[in-house]
Amino acid sequence: MTLLLLFLIPLLAACGLQLLPVASPWVRRTALAASLAQLATAVVAWRLPPADVSLSWLPKLGLRLDLGMDGLSLPLVLLAALITAMAVLATPLEQQRARLFYGLLLATNVGLMGAFLARNALLFVLAYELILIPTTLLVAIWGGERRAGAAIRFLIYGAVSGIALLTAVLAFGWLNPGGLDFSFAALASHRIPPDQQRILLALVLLAFGLKLPMVPLHGWQPLTYSQAPTPVAMLLSGAVSKLGAYGLLRFGIGFLPDAWSDGSAWIAAIGAVTAIYGALNAIAQLDMRRLVAYSSLGHMGFLLLALAAATPLSLQGVMAQILAHGLIIALLFCLVGLVETKTGTAQIPELSGLLNAQRGLPFTMGLMLLALMAAAGVPGQAGFVAELLVFEGSWVAYPIPTLVCLLSSGFTAVYAVRLFNRVGFGRLDNAKANWASTSWVERAPALVLTALVLVGGIWPTLLTGLSETATAPLALRSSEAVTVIASAASLAPSQLPA
Amino acid sequence: MTTSIAPERVKAPLIPPSTHRYAEVIHRLEAGGSMLPDTPENLQQIIGIYKAYAVPMDFYWRDLLYIAERVFLNPLPAFKYFISQEYLDRPCSYSGEQSKLRIWRGGEKAHPELLEFMERGETRRMPKLLHHLWHDRVNMEFAEACMQAMLWHQGMGGRFNDYLESDAYKANADRAIKAYFRGNPLMLGLYKLFPEMFLEQVRQLSYAANLGLFWEVMAPVFFEMSDLYDEGKLTTVPQAMDFLVNGIFAVAGRPIYHHLYIGDECIEIIPKSEGFTWLYEAALPYVEAVFYRTSPFRGTKSYNAQAQQVPDNQADFHYGILYADVYPVGSAGIPPTLLMQDMLHFLPPYLKEIYREHRRGEEDELVQLGITFQRSMYNVTSAVIQALRCALLYPLDDTDPEHLMANRQFFEAQMDRFLRPEARLSDIQSQDYR
Repeated sequence: MTLLLLFLIPLLAACGLQLLPVASPWVRRTALAASLAQLATAVVAWRLPPADVSLSWLPKLGLRLDLGMDGLSLPLVLLAALITAMAVLATPLEQQRARLFYGLLLATNVGLMGAFLARNALLFVLAYELILIPTTLLVAIWGGERRAGAAIRFLIYGAVSGIALLTAVLAFGWLNPGGLDFSFAALASHRIPPDQQRILLALVLLAFGLKLPMVPLHGWQPLTYSQAPTPVAMLLSGAVSKLGAYGLLRFGIGFLPDAWSDGSAWIAAIGAVTAIYGALNAIAQLDMRRLVAYSSLGHMGFLLLALAAATPLSLQGVMAQILAHGLIIALLFCLVGLVETKTGTAQIPELSGLLNAQRGLPFTMGLMLLALMAAAGVPGQAGFVAELLVFEGSWVAYPIPTLVCLLSSGFTAVYAVRLFNRVGFGRLDNAKANWASTSWVERAPALVLTALVLVGGIWPTLLTGLSETATAPLALRSSEAVTVIASAASLAPSQLPA
Repeated sequence: MTTSIAPERVKAPLIPPSTHRYAEVIHRLEAGGSMLPDTPENLQQIIGIYKAYAVPMDFYWRDLLYIAERVFLNPLPAFKYFISQEYLDRPCSYSGEQSKLRIWRGGEKAHPELLEFMERGETRRMPKLLHHLWHDRVNMEFAEACMQAMLWHQGMGGRFNDYLESDAYKANADRAIKAYFRGNPLMLGLYKLFPEMFLEQVRQLSYAANLGLFWEVMAPVFFEMSDLYDEGKLTTVPQAMDFLVNGIFAVAGRPIYHHLYIGDECIEIIPKSEGFTWLYEAALPYVEAVFYRTSPFRGTKSYNAQAQQVPDNQADFHYGILYADVYPVGSAGIPPTLLMQDMLHFLPPYLKEIYREHRRGEEDELVQLGITFQRSMYNVTSAVIQALRCALLYPLDDTDPEHLMANRQFFEAQMDRFLRPEARLSDIQSQDYR
């Protein structure tokens, strides 16, 4: 029942909102109440693990409503519920066409829940595709000046991703000797021949690489993130993009382990390229939103590296990075959105002196400093824990890509300092600084996210504890074995064990 | 039927219009106006801030004279801001029954609002020492910063500064130092070792006396302007400026001196007989040093002298309130912020109301107050410019074009000082500058 509630609460709320009068204050309240209720349900599900749900839907197609929650999906369900609630909270009070906006936000959430809770690959694909429709509409209707182009690009990339995933999943089903069974249990139990695995892995990489995204499949991301309204950017970057990492973990490592092992060196290399490309581009940006978008891309490179390494530690790092990055990137977009709402621009050259105590946005900028530090992996915050696990876990398998990612982590500090120095310090222009300070309602989502980023840094178990038991069986390499091999390489032949 | 209207005879101007960048301001000055546009809100703002300035100023001048005349060279002047009752009760020379030259209305002792604030601060009634340590008090540091600006810039006209280097002054200072440290062999020994250091300290104290005597005039002027406004007798900005000009001329010749009191003994370090006068030795150097020049505000913005961000010539300094960027000011311990904080305690209700209605209301009151102060000081500077024009040049209604042109050149030369991009003269022309 708990799992169904995670679905039903946002679904019913999204439908119910459309029955409320236009411009009713209850639209926002209902959306917020629904998202908070869903979050509370997710927390209950965490503390009291719910029973799986298995309902027959279209048996001839092998489609069943199989829902379940394991160590991989629980953190993502919590993250998606939290980010949705924060996105609702971060939506301006005077949002235009609020019923549709909140309805689409909640519809996106329904898709996310479906994907994360699905125990059936076909159900996963359905949920995965469902997300594309509301998110495209959100960007197309409420986006920035270039919203049309952004939405079309997002739709095309998303559609290609969906087609690739559907093809892969259908192939999974057809290749199953036990008949048309798309359940995760069946897919995990059947070992597909390595040649076929490679083809499927290519499709899976294409599908989830587009969603994550990774270089060179990232073309939609900077434009979409920069044009999407703040709550949508928070949801896209904080939760939707995590579907990519989740999919690679579930489908790539989980169902195609041989092909993954064979191709992991390439995936690690792509991860390193993604990390360095994202960081260098972030340094060059003049628009805060695009800077954060490229920063996000860079951090996706870390995820790819850790997934490629597939050691127990690196896979813990993957889950920690998914959570930490989800919180940090949503926080950054929330803060950039606040700055943009108040000042009317996100262009770095047009902003300065926002730390000014009297007329700037000192509170917002204070939180932004913390968020940028977290993104740069400064100790004491969630980003540090996640990156440490990623680098520590990946080093034994792929030292050179790890070093490249470490270097890009250093570049993170460069663009963080550059952004903060230009926007926070300097002289605040009196002629332009005619905006109200942020209210506590506006600050609330950023405050909650900041608190969680700090708690994650001080209490790392929060990031890893939920998924530790689920990631360990997925590891394709034993950390110890890799460590022995690596250390043996540095020993003299006579010192090697017989 | 048609009605023909006789064309009104327009008086042709005797000199062509100015082509200066601030031509509009110059024409306003030539018409007897102020650099500050004449609007009801400008009047309300400047009078309100004069009132809020006058109360702490009443403390500044009393304590400056207390420091110059009583604390003097105390090697541990920890209690120099703990003004004695005698100085709080000291009759103002220009207002009150006991004044030597009663020009303005008001009492002679410290203002009741000041006494009340000294008692309670913005926290609660508690011992004076706790108020001091909690920094819940009048910020005398601002007054001292102004005094130091005058001392540091020196040569700004007048004879006062030259006198501080004269043998007569040194002899008087020597007498004062020896008398002050009578029976204190340690300090007398130090004086013998480092005579210049002690002498320089006395020079600084002479500037403290100078500034104290300057503000002794300004405090009652501002109080009376506030009262007149409340009574509806000051209705325009030019009237407010004229009141200041008249005040300047009324006390222009009042003496500037420095006396030291040791018990009942009075030692004249700068005797009144030297003939130093209020306008030339105090008012003009003060305006030059504090309104125009001062020094780069420490702690608010970094100026790199090696990158030539600080002018080589002190006369080119432009860090005074007329140029100040009020935004960066807001850090503890910075002189302008200290003054703003002091004025914040004594704002009249109508000024608070203006601040509440604009920008961030009470949240950025300090910035709005700073900008109001900037407006009011442009008005004071206008009064000084008009007074100087009065003293050195020709009446505004003179009919000789040559005289009018001389006035024009004088005004244009004054406006040239505001051609720097940092000058706020163009900003204050707009009511939206807050």
